[in-house]
Amino acid sequence: MSQTIAEKLLTRNNLAQAPAHAGDIVEARIDGAMCHYHASEPMRDLALQAGFKDGLPRVWDPDKIFVLVDHHQPALSQKLADENAVIREEVNRLGIRCFHDAEPGISHQMMADYGLMRPGELVVGNDSHTISYGALNSGGTGITRADMFYVLLFGELWFQVPHSIKVVLNGRQRNYPIAKDIILYLAGEYGDDFAGNMSIEYSGSLVPGLSIDSRMCLSAHGVEVGAKFAFFPCDEKTRAFLNGRTDKPYEALAADADASYEKTIVLDVDEMPFVVAKPHQFGNVGPVDDVTGTRINQAQIGSCANGRFEDIEIAARMIKGRKVAKGVRFIISPASQMVYLQCLKAGLIEQLVEAGAQVVTPGCGVCQPRVGFLSDGEVCITATTRNFKGRKGSMKADIYLGGPLTVTAAAVAGEIVNPKQVFDGL
Amino acid sequence: MGFDLTRVVRGRVWKFGDSVESDAINPYYQYPTMDELKQHTMEAYRPEFPQQVKPGDILVAGRNFGCGSSRPGLVLREVGIALIIAESVSRLFLRNSISRAIPILMAPGITSIVEDGDELEVDYPQAIARSIATGKTITLRKFPPLIEQIFACGGLPEFARQRYLAETR
Repeated sequence: MSQTIAEKLLTRNNLAQAPAHAGDIVEARIDGAMCHYHASEPMRDLALQAGFKDGLPRVWDPDKIFVLVDHHQPALSQKLADENAVIREEVNRLGIRCFHDAEPGISHQMMADYGLMRPGELVVGNDSHTISYGALNSGGTGITRADMFYVLLFGELWFQVPHSIKVVLNGRQRNYPIAKDIILYLAGEYGDDFAGNMSIEYSGSLVPGLSIDSRMCLSAHGVEVGAKFAFFPCDEKTRAFLNGRTDKPYEALAADADASYEKTIVLDVDEMPFVVAKPHQFGNVGPVDDVTGTRINQAQIGSCANGRFEDIEIAARMIKGRKVAKGVRFIISPASQMVYLQCLKAGLIEQLVEAGAQVVTPGCGVCQPRVGFLSDGEVCITATTRNFKGRKGSMKADIYLGGPLTVTAAAVAGEIVNPKQVFDGL
Repeated sequence: MGFDLTRVVRGRVWKFGDSVESDAINPYYQYPTMDELKQHTMEAYRPEFPQQVKPGDILVAGRNFGCGSSRPGLVLREVGIALIIAESVSRLFLRNSISRAIPILMAPGITSIVEDGDELEVDYPQAIARSIATGKTITLRKFPPLIEQIFACGGLPEFARQRYLAETR
């Protein structure tokens, strides 16, 4: 019987060694587990509650567990410093070998940077944006910390085999990143749960030309539209990216030609306007022209959605020879040290700082109430993951989501504006 | 603490809309302790909720409940919510609720039979939710046996311990 990518993956990893069909509950073998700060006290607390009085008694395979101290590096408070110390103890005690400690960055970007997940694998992480690994044809999916507890012990977990949705992206190549606008537009058009519990399979004429950075943005945002997986095909770009990062063999996944889909969405990207998500939901989307003139206090580029080289490159390219508007805080947070270094070597950081931007340490802080709080009545436009009320501190602040180009245009203009009015050559 | 699926739950309804997000349910970045969380849960939608919620109340919500980050809804149980029942639940919130045995059910159509403040009766074995005021009913979605087993154990870590003990005895 013909199968989707998700059905093939969960058939391959099904402990019952039986074909997996959409809707089935299966117990599946895990190929890799990404564990961030929850590795510390939360995991210990779960162990105690369950009756393991000395904590987690073992891990199933110390080589398949990747611990990254991402959200809280460097420690932003005494409490977090103490939690990080517990992570170090636990990693030593359990014999986990892959541990990125004294290195700030977002776990998902570092998983890609260091080639820790590969096409065709089932990789779980106790963070919702683990779904971003689908950009590399890897079955990344977020699980909960109590799920992770089970995975760490047994290397297995239950899943419901998802139905699949085909998202066909057609359009011409551009000289600027468009991934954020695509996913926002889809959320606006079809609702912020249009892929609820489903596995997205991206295809279409735009896809071969999409960079890995853009694919990671689209896959990461799979969770904002409810998805369990968000797969891209494994192609030359995927293999080129992985070359030199991993020497382990992998077996990519592709759907059968006559696999069955819950629905198919076709988007002509060339017909799509620049869009933003307005406060306070991801799906509250409209053309940027609807909100032009909205004054801003803060603009941001970063996170597992938009902290990559191409996001920072477009900001630097567009801002060259201009200045950030007076009083606007333009905050850039590269997704990882590797991305940061790449931007530095390309001269992007110099251009941005000269224009008046602030560059902050790689990590998740800029997408949370950690770095760059907002005060009552303030407005922020951001190329990060979420715009929920209170996401940046004040419950009385407004957060707009946009692509890095739209954010940069706003940072220069001091108000939300169509990038075409600020920049030539788009 | 397990989620006893055999028990009929009856309580006053707090009704919320679609896509209630997990930052609002569990704003732990702002309020790291459970005591603080209890004072602030859901205030992004209903500022009066933390003060006025009573033990035994039922939380009814629209589609996509708990979307956003993977944040467990333990605080809702702590403030006394006896049951969450929604049109649909975002997958990570559902996984969190299953793995921590937080009482949660899905019932497409539930928001059409009750209003805020109504009494609702929920009978999982019979797979029925009933508005006390109007007598209108709606069918609940049943969980697969494995999930019912996890609920009965009190959550996935407890389930894991039973398996671990059985395998290492």
